[in-house]
Amino acid sequence: MTEVATDGWFWVGTALCAVSLVICVVMTFIRTFPDDFSILSVAAVELFLVVYGVGAIFRQGGGEPLQGELWEFWGYVLTALVVSLVAVVWAVTDKTRWSNLVMAAVGPTIFVMLYRLQVIWFG
Amino acid sequence: MAEAENNENKVDNAPRRNQGLGRILVMVYAVFALSSFARSIFQIATHFEQAPLAYLLSAFAAAVYIVATLSLARSGRTAWYVSVVAVGIELVGVVGVGLWTLLDPQLFADDTVWSRFGAGYGYIPLILPILGLAWLLGHRPRVEVEGRP
Repeated sequence: MTEVATDGWFWVGTALCAVSLVICVVMTFIRTFPDDFSILSVAAVELFLVVYGVGAIFRQGGGEPLQGELWEFWGYVLTALVVSLVAVVWAVTDKTRWSNLVMAAVGPTIFVMLYRLQVIWFG
Repeated sequence: MAEAENNENKVDNAPRRNQGLGRILVMVYAVFALSSFARSIFQIATHFEQAPLAYLLSAFAAAVYIVATLSLARSGRTAWYVSVVAVGIELVGVVGVGLWTLLDPQLFADDTVWSRFGAGYGYIPLILPILGLAWLLGHRPRVEVEGRP
């Protein structure tokens, strides 16, 4: 992996994704239904993405330069927002132990997307 | 043999292929379908002439992922066959393109999902079709159309 400049946004997001992954995996073992904590942890990631998006509007509006393409950046943000929502809907429509593992996929996925966003932002 | 198969869409107690553990498979496929589709649209729209072969391959891979996601998510016999074909193409694609990029790295001017056996995506593109086929073969569609187990 090449070196990429990271910022506080990235690390907060990464921490939330990691926490969500751990919670969802643990719940896969100890629950036979989609646990509230799994859903809340994914909701926290989603909330972060909303804040990240609003923050990005202000940062970019304030003149912070973006190394990559503007629409690639927003494509990633919107896709990330959709992924978390789809995961929760897909998970809770079949209430089993594995619903938690479906939601566990959100953390790593969003982490990769945050990493890509950093690359687009800082080059 | 193909006569009586149109009825099977009405059977609700068909194999629970798309439930439980199968949901995760669909979820991961969905993520790959979405990201590879978005990526290939971006590549083709912005710098197609740089690596036309690689980007066409990306688009093809994205299409395979989309078909696989939809068919894995659906119940029924037809969806099972479509899934097996899509996941099979995916396996052949990732192994074929993987070997190709290994033997003749010049051919593709830019990376695709399947280049170097999917190394750019943590080898998930290589593992996914194997898991997918194992799941599908373990959850074949039922032979009988009527009667509950």
